[in-house]
Amino acid sequence: MKWLDGMTESGTREIASKTSRRGFLGRLAAVLAGGAATIPLLPVARSQESSNPPPGEQGDPTSCEYWRYCAIDGFLCGCCGGSMNSCPPGTEMSPITWIGTCENPVDQKKYIISYNDCCGKSSCGNCLCQRNEGDRPLYRPQVSNDINWCLGTSSNSYHCSTAIVVGTALDE
Amino acid sequence: MKKLMLVALICASAVFAEIQPEPTGIIETLPETWPAHWIIAHDAAFFHMSDGKLIVLDADSDDVTGRFKGFMNASFIGMFVQARTRPEIYLAETFRSRGSRGERTDVLTIYDKRTLGPVGEVVLPPKRSSNMPTDYNLQLVDDEKLALIYNFTPAQSVSVVDVVAREFLAEIPIPGCALTYPMGGRAFSSVCGDGSLLTVVLGDDGQQASSSRTEPFFDVDDDPMMEKAAMHGGIAYFPTFHGNIYPVDLNGTVPVVGEPWSMIGDEEGGWRPGGLQLAASDSSGHLYFLMHAQGREGSHKDPGVEVWVFDGEAESRVSRIELSLPAISIAVTRDDNPLLIATNINMEIDVYDATSGNHLRTLGDFGQETPLILRAAH
Repeated sequence: MKWLDGMTESGTREIASKTSRRGFLGRLAAVLAGGAATIPLLPVARSQESSNPPPGEQGDPTSCEYWRYCAIDGFLCGCCGGSMNSCPPGTEMSPITWIGTCENPVDQKKYIISYNDCCGKSSCGNCLCQRNEGDRPLYRPQVSNDINWCLGTSSNSYHCSTAIVVGTALDE
Repeated sequence: MKKLMLVALICASAVFAEIQPEPTGIIETLPETWPAHWIIAHDAAFFHMSDGKLIVLDADSDDVTGRFKGFMNASFIGMFVQARTRPEIYLAETFRSRGSRGERTDVLTIYDKRTLGPVGEVVLPPKRSSNMPTDYNLQLVDDEKLALIYNFTPAQSVSVVDVVAREFLAEIPIPGCALTYPMGGRAFSSVCGDGSLLTVVLGDDGQQASSSRTEPFFDVDDDPMMEKAAMHGGIAYFPTFHGNIYPVDLNGTVPVVGEPWSMIGDEEGGWRPGGLQLAASDSSGHLYFLMHAQGREGSHKDPGVEVWVFDGEAESRVSRIELSLPAISIAVTRDDNPLLIATNINMEIDVYDATSGNHLRTLGDFGQETPLILRAAH
């Protein structure tokens, strides 16, 4: 079943990144600044954003193996009528979320990914994907993918998860 | 013609009267105390979360249909805890007035173990944390008088409910900390993001009487402590990502953090603990952990292929149980001949003799979809 597929995929994946205190601070800074595009980013992220074009993309955004999904746990919105950075029709994007730090194979740079959930409908049920690189327990919620992040939305019903690039990660 | 019809009616009545009609309206009940090998499978219904179930099964039975004892509904990743002193189960649930939308209502539902029916509820602040189910989202303290429910909005707090009086008492802020680990008296601890424990002692009224905080004692970056502890004798044994154990004595109102010890020792192969509900204990003090080899960053939720059994007091491994299929969650029954039960990657439940490690049977075909969490009956 799909559940099993997601589990076993995560079990065979090579991991490139390691967590460090500096890495964590970088990720924390991003989540404190807010993941949604409507919320201002911290200066460090903003400067990166202004000087660099969006990252190149390579791979299938509906595959769990896609580079942006390194810390995701949920249904991929690209399989649910949305895309890797947009919600399906009739849903509402959570303004707060958890983040991951994923390496883009195009430029081998690490990017901060905001996994905003799309909310207001029941589970999409398609393309369940669980990867846990940099995921941490519930006592560090900003990097925990075990949480339903449909918070601050009109409904807390979880539908699917996006993977939005919000900045480049600080050097490890 | 009328005569003929009358005769036919009389004959029909006579035939009808020869069969004793079965009574209608019979509804089964369960015993107040459940046999030690009954289990509760929490099917969180990940693909339609408002329809979760707590399914009661007899893990001893090879009767595929007869081992199914009934179930309780558990809406939207409900969190539950069993009382030991009363035939009750407490379940924190979330409902919305229009299904996937509408006004949100959180409740603590009180179920009667004999009828599997709700016998009461307490409305909670609509703040309870919606996360993958754990043992520590809902716990009981104060001789099972008070229920504690972890909230995340993302502000972190704990709701306090008097389950005897069926009354909401208080909301206790626990900023920067998560979950609720029961302690002696009216106290609980939460794990904090800086690697410390926050402890809150409640007063008679359920309000915070005092609080304290340990020094940070684990490395949140390089070897984070998991929030999934095996509990025995009031001691929580927390595994870390890399396979160390932090024993924390929660019997008093101040946690006592013991020296960490390694589960791995000189074992080769990159073994690490992993899974969803990866830790369990039995009544003799043995601790059980789901383990996988070739561990790496991000493997801490991978299914386990073995269960390693430790003597928590001696800090030494007792046995290794090779699983017939990799598993994501485990539990152990609380009797002298304990069963190890495991949700395998096919979302069935494998039953093992916890002492010998022998695989006894697989519980499938019980209407389950995603039985993410297992509990032994009390």
